[in-house]
Amino acid sequence: EETLSAVHAFPETLIYTKSFLSFVEKVNEAGKGVVQIDVRGGPEAIGMFQQPDAVRDGIVDMVYTPGSFYGGALPEKDAMVASNLTAVETRENGGIALIDEIHQEKMGLKYLGWFDSGVCYNLWTRNEPTFDADGNLEVEGLKLRGNNVYNAFFTNYLGAQVIDLPTGEVYSALQRGVVDATGWTQIGLIDLKWNEFLNYRIEPCFFSTDLGVIVNNEKWNSLSDEARTILQDVAIQHEKDSVMALRTKRDEDFAALDEAGMTVVSLEGEAKANYLAAARETTWARMKEVMSGQPGGADNYDRLIELFYDLEAAK
Amino acid sequence: MATISGLTLVWIMLSVVLSVVMRNLGLQPFAWLFTSAEYGLLYMTMLGAPWLVREKGHVHIELLTAALPDAPRHLLSRGVAAICVLVCALLAWKGLELVMTNIERGDFDTRAYYYPRWLLTIAFPLSFGLMAVEFSRFVFGQELMHSGEAGIHE
Amino acid sequence: MEWYEALALLLGTIMFLMAVGMPIALAFLAANIVGAWVFMGGERGVTQLLNNGLGSLTKYALMPIPLFLLMGEIFFHTGLGGRMFTAIDKLLGRLAGRLSYVTVLGGTAFSTLSGSSMGSTALLGSLMVPEMSRRGYKSHMSIGPILGTGGLAIIIPPSALAVLLATLAQIDVAALLIAGVVPGLILAGFYIATIWLQTRIDPTAAPAYDVERMSFPAKLGLLLREVVPMVSVMIIIIALMIRGFVTPSEAAAFGALGVLILAALFRCLTWKAMKKSVIGALRVTIMAYLIVFGSATFSQLLAFSGASRGLVNWAISFDLAPLAMLLVMFAVLLLLGMFMEQISIMLLTVPIFFPLAHTLGFDPVWFALIMLLSLEISFTTPPFGLLLFVMKGVAPAGTTMREIYTSAFPFIFCSLLLVTLLIAFPQIALWLPSL
Ligand code: NA
Ligand code: NA
Repeated sequence: EETLSAVHAFPETLIYTKSFLSFVEKVNEAGKGVVQIDVRGGPEAIGMFQQPDAVRDGIVDMVYTPGSFYGGALPEKDAMVASNLTAVETRENGGIALIDEIHQEKMGLKYLGWFDSGVCYNLWTRNEPTFDADGNLEVEGLKLRGNNVYNAFFTNYLGAQVIDLPTGEVYSALQRGVVDATGWTQIGLIDLKWNEFLNYRIEPCFFSTDLGVIVNNEKWNSLSDEARTILQDVAIQHEKDSVMALRTKRDEDFAALDEAGMTVVSLEGEAKANYLAAARETTWARMKEVMSGQPGGADNYDRLIELFYDLEAAK
Repeated sequence: MATISGLTLVWIMLSVVLSVVMRNLGLQPFAWLFTSAEYGLLYMTMLGAPWLVREKGHVHIELLTAALPDAPRHLLSRGVAAICVLVCALLAWKGLELVMTNIERGDFDTRAYYYPRWLLTIAFPLSFGLMAVEFSRFVFGQELMHSGEAGIHE
Repeated sequence: MEWYEALALLLGTIMFLMAVGMPIALAFLAANIVGAWVFMGGERGVTQLLNNGLGSLTKYALMPIPLFLLMGEIFFHTGLGGRMFTAIDKLLGRLAGRLSYVTVLGGTAFSTLSGSSMGSTALLGSLMVPEMSRRGYKSHMSIGPILGTGGLAIIIPPSALAVLLATLAQIDVAALLIAGVVPGLILAGFYIATIWLQTRIDPTAAPAYDVERMSFPAKLGLLLREVVPMVSVMIIIIALMIRGFVTPSEAAAFGALGVLILAALFRCLTWKAMKKSVIGALRVTIMAYLIVFGSATFSQLLAFSGASRGLVNWAISFDLAPLAMLLVMFAVLLLLGMFMEQISIMLLTVPIFFPLAHTLGFDPVWFALIMLLSLEISFTTPPFGLLLFVMKGVAPAGTTMREIYTSAFPFIFCSLLLVTLLIAFPQIALWLPSL
């Protein structure tokens, strides 16, 4: 029996971690006598931002983390950030295979699966958002909390006044009015209790979560064929399962927020198309820029965009 | 280096004040103000640490050293300093390796900007290397790291 | 390796190295090298240790500490502090141990705005301890209350740690914050009682010098001239935070700036004082941060090796009555708190303790408050409580660790007393949020 050690980027209580732990459970069930995953913990075991290096260096065999935590080494993760598809379609069309290939090449990592996909981001505000004559969102005077995932979009397109804050400081910043708007995934707002201060959700949603399982390549190659098959099969199944599970969770969260008085405001028509276009294009531009500075350059750029974005669906 | 460390502290204060003032004037604070303050914490600590070794500012507990007679105490004190030299030398060496890896991999720190990681990690070989030198003064030099008084003082 | 072997190896190494007199930060680093070698696969574990250090130091949350220190040092070195305390001395008249009371009251007020106990200890320590020892206070009269009130910062709202705990444990943030108010005030009351007792038991602990009697207008003038300006700096910072102009982390920078401006107005801002202040702030910061550098990885090694989780699971595996179970959890938190960093402890124990607390029928808010108190206590518990080392850094030269330990004890006892009261009368915590 072979064992892989694993850590996860977020605290154990977070929904995404629970999803990963259910994947581990499935592997340990299917892999009895062949392969087991030994979870060593979360950010308390290895720091959140040190985990990608730790799996690269073989200190731990497997990590569950957003690609954005190692975006400096692998700018191609922005293809997933900007994506409007889920792991199900991109597994089928070869998108994930390409991402796996890039991981092997650039970081010596096996990209096992893109979990919890299909969850996108909204802008959430305290005060009722206002629109200009053309229906575009007015951001003047909005104190928007950002981080490096969204800033390419927020600053370059929206021209918003972005205040960088770690997630842990957002609650008290909202409470004191240091910020009055933030981007966040569709789910999780209630867990963070930010809905105590935020009253409006702006549609459409943009971006996608980019959480995935990466495995040290040496370890991966040392596994028996049987073990690799089990891991890969269970991962592909979990890619599907997690999309469904999180959709259910999103609907529950939205219903709970609705009931608590969250108002939904939507951009329409051209304004909506421009908003979505800006979200993906500013992010792609960033991806291209960083890719160009690395060995291999922007060779994969066009293919990534083709595989991870469905332009028809955005209309 | 202690001077740079001190100036970094002043810079941290200024950068925080500046970014808050800009924000409240309705301007977009430069993201590098925020990031430079975070990086500043690392540079300030690492660059100042060797100076603090010389000043005997790294706190230690004098329990055993206070109970021992002079001769064994001197031996123990130099021995402890020697372990410190070893620890620092090892970290300096591994730090240098880390810098090389960062350069080779082209690692970036991705907060607000893509900042070359080696510019941060270079602080390790510098700091621990010099700390090793400073600690070796307490191994071979006249002065001892432990006074032998503290624990029985009062 | 079994969890208890891992635990014994890690704790044994660190305790041995500290006992032989190795600087604390270096002892952590050395123990980390041993641990990284054993649990993280040899040499590359050491590289991981450095990467961890990089991560733990470049955190915005650490920002307030050097800045509060700078604020306190400028206050002291420009002589502003001396003037203010002389004035307070005269105003308070003959009350024995008056500056200790001032420390508790000021510290409690300050705690309400700062969520960082290291920041509070840094500020109060550098503001008060040098002045008080110059005035002949025995060290425990200044160090003890400051260590106590530094810990108050995490239970009296706003408290970043409380918000994080509530988020992790999925309980009502507002309820937990409000629940901290009454216990916080009771604790401050205990501190005042402790000082009163200490001055009664040992009248020489606080200087008994006589102060000239002053007329009321003279007192008023003194108050306006010497005390009000400094107090208004503090009030302005609080106002800035309440109005949302600055976050608590940023407030420290404005505090330092405010004292600088004040010193310039009073014409006591010299280059020499500036330089001394920067050096003073730097000394403590670097010393404390290098310990943070080492202890962050040590915490992670305890978690990664399975030692701390093993301990937690073992402790709760006994089938005990609820109260006994609570005490077991409290003891585990205290033990971990001696070696681990607070946030790591919460990440590790929340997923295990809160479901257990639920099955035992505990109120989650009440339990969270007890958890915060245990973290606060372990922050000042010898031999490794980080606040003790911060205090060692700001205390006058020649202050020994033993003095700091003995100063801390009465105040730790106060916290334990509060925990006992909370267990006996949960309403102390739960009454206010229930309104
Ligand atoms: Na507080
Ligand atoms: Na501690």
